[in-house]
Amino acid sequence: MSNIIEIKKLRKVYGDGVELVALDDVDLTIEEGEVLAIVGPSGSGKSTLLNMIGLLDTPSGGEIWLKGQNITKASPKERARLRNKELGFIFQYHHLLPEFTAVENVMMPLLIAGMDKKEARHRAITLLEEVGLGDRLNNRPNQLSGGQNQRVAVARALAGHPSIVIGDEPTGNLDSKSSDMIYELLRKLNREMNQTFILVTHDMDMAEKTDRILRLVDGRIVCEMRREGDEFVSRDICRAD
Amino acid sequence: MRLTYDLGCLIHHEVIPLFELFVAKKHLVSRRRQTLLVVGAVALAVAITILFRSLINGFETTLNEIIFQFVPHVTVLPEGSESYIHLYKTLIETIWEIPGVMAVSPALSTTASFAHDDHVENVVLRGVVPYELNMISKIGIDYMVAGDLDSIQNGRRVALDQGLADELEVNLGDTVQVSFPDARTMSLVVSGIFDTGGFSTNYAYVSMETARDFLGEGNVVTDVQIKLEDIYQADEVASELEARGYNAESWQSQSGIVETIESRRFTNTLIMLLVIVIASFGIANIMNLLVLEKTREIGMMMAMGAAPKSVRKIFLIESGILGLAGGLGGCLIGYLIASYVNSLAIAISSGPSFSVILTFIVDPWDILAFPLITLLLSVVAGVYPAHQASKLDPVIALRG
Ligand SMILES: Nc1ncnc2c1ncn2[C@@H]1O[C@H](COP(=O)(O)OP(=O)(O)O)[C@@H](O)[C@H]1O
Ligand SMILES: [Mg+2]
Repeated sequence: MSNIIEIKKLRKVYGDGVELVALDDVDLTIEEGEVLAIVGPSGSGKSTLLNMIGLLDTPSGGEIWLKGQNITKASPKERARLRNKELGFIFQYHHLLPEFTAVENVMMPLLIAGMDKKEARHRAITLLEEVGLGDRLNNRPNQLSGGQNQRVAVARALAGHPSIVIGDEPTGNLDSKSSDMIYELLRKLNREMNQTFILVTHDMDMAEKTDRILRLVDGRIVCEMRREGDEFVSRDICRAD
Repeated sequence: MRLTYDLGCLIHHEVIPLFELFVAKKHLVSRRRQTLLVVGAVALAVAITILFRSLINGFETTLNEIIFQFVPHVTVLPEGSESYIHLYKTLIETIWEIPGVMAVSPALSTTASFAHDDHVENVVLRGVVPYELNMISKIGIDYMVAGDLDSIQNGRRVALDQGLADELEVNLGDTVQVSFPDARTMSLVVSGIFDTGGFSTNYAYVSMETARDFLGEGNVVTDVQIKLEDIYQADEVASELEARGYNAESWQSQSGIVETIESRRFTNTLIMLLVIVIASFGIANIMNLLVLEKTREIGMMMAMGAAPKSVRKIFLIESGILGLAGGLGGCLIGYLIASYVNSLAIAISSGPSFSVILTFIVDPWDILAFPLITLLLSVVAGVYPAHQASKLDPVIALRG
């Protein structure tokens, strides 16, 4: 398998007066088709790392390579293009556009990509049916439950066939039943389309269903566990905590 | 299963792209009240401006028609310090040689005091030839309310304006005492009364002979009035007469009315444009609020791959639509009100043979120009908020 993402000595420092090192020389390689969980205490830099990988934020140092291309210093326009083409985002809050129906929300990344409306609608309907919302196509976010909205957000993240789907606590606001449903959905899509998933979660049950778990503390990867069969095997860098 | 859209390659080619228009339209429709309010404000400003301009157009047209019924196109006056034109017969022959001349009417004009019972009025007393005067202003043909103009040829008679007759309390057949320092006091019998609806106030006409007797002058006149086939030939004719050594003035140089109307129209249009500018900048206000309210959603659109340029376009399109709608709405409202008022035919002044109707004449250029002006203004008003939106950092925006 080839590496879809390579991160080299990635740094992010916030603040002009008091410096805050949010990411401290992180090295990380992610393979295509992998499902990766990032765990760690609040403020450890998980979101910061995801935002770098997702091309939403720019690093203070180090390099990010996406599909063999160094995108560390890509222009805002190029980053927007790559976000549209290669990346799908699911956040803790669904961030659906409130005026638009479920279908229209899912169509959005496709319209941004310049697809015509009819084709985009067709694709959006297919996706909503896949996430079990075939009967809620024309409901707006305020007419749907939290779990349903998050499923719309999943469908939207997947609409443009991104090679990487990023979830920053995608089930953080959901009950465990809805969380499981979302996770199963993502896993199914991962098997079908070989998409790469990078998920930040506080839910260890969910993390343990992934292929690899990274533990971040104070902007450093302090532990990495890899699935081997039904077991997770710690790499030697792991410290007890 | 993976479909092969070359996403991204298709974008950025259209002037008003689908995605931006889709979002912009939805914003406007879902915030119906604010949209209607700001469109209404712009429309109102535009409608009032258009109505005002149409009213001036109507007023000007009506006034022009009236002016050209009463005002001579060219007037020849005595040279420099002279009081009279002496060789006026030669002058009249010269005038008739100029092509396009329709009528020539010499007059011996003076001011005089008219007295009847206790009433005394200052009057412009003009000695004329009725036939010639009628060629210039049709007073004796269209505007007589009592007696007739030709009667002044029969001795000591006078035809005077209705308003003047009212002030002096004279009727047909009454006698007025006419006097003036250095002039011979005489009694004149009222043999005609005319009413032009305000364009001949304090005018009285007598025969050339009566005027000469009154002033004790010989065969002289004080002015010669000329009517032309084409009113815009007046300046040319005047300068031609000037070149032959006469003192001639065209209606353009004589009457300040046209310039007054023009400058009034100009200053008022400026003021109203300012109102439209203010109304349009209501759009800027709405857009600023919208950008604040939509910060997270803008962040999400950016995460989905909307480029800063796209985000900017969304808000520019939105303000553009608001401005264009306001402009078009204003034109429609203005046009409908103008048509309605015109259909009522409201008379604002009248004489015996004409009345001035309140008329709006909507200039087609206004209908084209105002939507373009409001479109331009609103896009300008949208530039700053749109720029702010496009500059948002998606990470911060998503956090709200
Ligand atoms: N925009 C910012 N400005 C300043 N500090 C920030 C900013 N974003 C995050 N941080 C800080 O960086 C650290 C890592 O934050 P974050 O990546 O959000 O952590 P996590 O997602 O693991 O909770 C925290 O200490 C946080 O306060
Ligand atoms: Mg976080």
